[in-house]
Amino acid sequence: MRKVWAIIRREFIERVRSKWFLISTILGPIFMIALGVLPSLLATRTGRVNQIVLVDQGTGGLAARVQAQLGRSGRFRVAILESDPEDGAAVAESLTVAVRVEEIDGFLLLSAAIIEAGSAEYRGRNVSSLRDMAVLESAVRQSVVIERLNRRGIDPAVVQEAQARIDLRTMRITKRGATGESGEATFILGYAVGLVLYMVILLYGINVMRSVLEEKQTRIIEVLVSSLRPFQLMMGKVVGVGSVGLFQFSIWTLVGYLMLRYRQVILGWFKVPAEAMNAVQMPSISTELMTMVIVYFLLGYLLYAALFAVVGASVNTDTEAQQAQQPVMMLLVAALVVSFGALGDPGGQLAVTASLIPLSSPVIMPVRVATSDVPSSQVALSLAILAGTVIVVIWGSARVYRIGILMYGKRPSMKELWRWARQS
Amino acid sequence: MTEPIVVDIARIAKRFSGHVAVEDLSLRVHRGAVYGLLGPNGAGKTTTIRMIMNITMPDEGSIELFGDSMGGRHHSARIGYLPEERGLYKRMRVRDMLVFLAEAKGVPRARATTKADEWLDRLGLGDWRLRKIEELSKGMSQKVQFIGCMLHEPELLILDEPFSGLDPINQQALKDTIVQLSRAGTTIIFSTHQMDVAEKICDHVCIIARGRKVLDGPLTEVKKVHGGTHVAVAFEDAADGAAAMLGISDLVAAADDSGVFAELKLREGGDPQQVLERLLRQGVRLRRFERIEPSLHRIFLDKAGPDAAEPERREVAHA
Repeated sequence: MRKVWAIIRREFIERVRSKWFLISTILGPIFMIALGVLPSLLATRTGRVNQIVLVDQGTGGLAARVQAQLGRSGRFRVAILESDPEDGAAVAESLTVAVRVEEIDGFLLLSAAIIEAGSAEYRGRNVSSLRDMAVLESAVRQSVVIERLNRRGIDPAVVQEAQARIDLRTMRITKRGATGESGEATFILGYAVGLVLYMVILLYGINVMRSVLEEKQTRIIEVLVSSLRPFQLMMGKVVGVGSVGLFQFSIWTLVGYLMLRYRQVILGWFKVPAEAMNAVQMPSISTELMTMVIVYFLLGYLLYAALFAVVGASVNTDTEAQQAQQPVMMLLVAALVVSFGALGDPGGQLAVTASLIPLSSPVIMPVRVATSDVPSSQVALSLAILAGTVIVVIWGSARVYRIGILMYGKRPSMKELWRWARQS
Repeated sequence: MTEPIVVDIARIAKRFSGHVAVEDLSLRVHRGAVYGLLGPNGAGKTTTIRMIMNITMPDEGSIELFGDSMGGRHHSARIGYLPEERGLYKRMRVRDMLVFLAEAKGVPRARATTKADEWLDRLGLGDWRLRKIEELSKGMSQKVQFIGCMLHEPELLILDEPFSGLDPINQQALKDTIVQLSRAGTTIIFSTHQMDVAEKICDHVCIIARGRKVLDGPLTEVKKVHGGTHVAVAFEDAADGAAAMLGISDLVAAADDSGVFAELKLREGGDPQQVLERLLRQGVRLRRFERIEPSLHRIFLDKAGPDAAEPERREVAHA
């Protein structure tokens, strides 16, 4: 046992000491703080006001209505220029010059035909700003609709009432009732859970592969294998690298927790006003979800680490490893892609099936748990299948590893790997 | 010999797809011996050592270590092993590396640390203990690896080509250490194809060629049994040597001619006196003329060299 401990210890200490660990551990919290602060910070930014000219070519009261509408949005300052439709070309030309010399940002051409034809034209420098254009379009549309209704003799008060803004608030309901969490926050949480699990499993899995390959390339493996059984070696390595992952995870979790707990204080550092703080809802992370994430990380890591260990043991060079790791990586990438689908429909057929399949469940089940209520029977089944697979895969991998680590030369085919796994 | 047997290999064979690496090999190593496993490249030395270490399993035959067949891994705490292809974790610090290797053999940490420092000082690497392996020169990292394989004070030390790639100074340091360990009672098996080193430190040799044992025994006996009449001659200069060798070629069966020095094996019934007479008559200026025991080098060439392969090939052809 002391020998295995030596292996675990080495893997842990050498990794935690490395620059790579330091950088990724620090980057995690920075990322989290950015995630917590940026939305609020952005909410406080009013953005610049666009100066535009509204060319009224005999539309009657429409231009004034559009002007008022745009003024309310706070994003536009509008000047009205009345012009004869016959001078259209000349006016447009002179305004184009004004845009070029940055006197104004753009101009909107409203002709009398707009009420019937339903088309207007805007020319400006800011046409690529989707948000500005959306505001502009909605202002024109609303004004035109009101104008049309008025012409049909409908009471403007009724129109006003009909136009009242409708706000759809989304809230997540769980077993414990309404959470007060917005749909957006739930989506972000699910997205983050899937992405983090994918990255961490991949990162540490590849670490195991590199470590196996290093020992093979430097032939230290010969010394080690003459004092420990290959299975002990492989498990020592997997556990050692895994504990680095768990360690890093704990640091991140702690920072994440503090981040949510003291969000007000942290936002204070960035001088975010109080209204903006409350404007953005932060998702709450339940202990249930946290446990799920950690359990699925551990099992998923074990599964993929064993597969990556086989990759490391069956190749001789870094280049070969790059190629050979592709199929294993693809499995994880597929899981991540499916998890994005699961975000939209966490209780759907695809999500449920994928959360039971052991190669994708470590990423998808936690995403489902984060975004919906998953029946505990499904969680239990998924865990049982995953745990069973982990045992079988580790057993098989150890057998391939045992032979692979001492094999040099040609890369073995899948058929040969299979033969190694069955050979006693 | 009355010492107990530490390694007992009985008729092992190992075949890899398409070729035979080791065939019908038996050997015994007694406690305290310095045992040289000699043979040309590809003779099967490393394969044999790997089988002793439990890294690969023999297809046939048995290997007993310390009187049982539990295998090298079972006795790993009592065995130190230096593999032929050397390597260490590049990014580890020297001392951490050594402590790790000792810990993998079951030595407690604190003790491993003290021993590591002790040996690093002894082999002149004391200032390097906190450096990373990748900063060391090739010779230094070889020394580190050698320390690594014996930090746990093994009773049996197996060294695969320990001298290859070392400069004369490091070679000397390694040789001194091996002799020291041997005096302290460690049994040492090492493979090499450097006969001069083997001749100086082995008390028992085994020559392997093409996977088979061709000779085995205590060095003194091997020399005695090898037979033949051997003469060492040294000339004033190479030109003298060339002329001399030509003049006496009818008396010589085999010559290891190195220009100004030659080791001659005379034809059966040949008389060294006659050779000397002939040389003097030719007017060759000699620096040395001595009747000697055959060198290990000569024996090696006779047993494992290209000429030795001839009869065997003929046998195969007949069969």
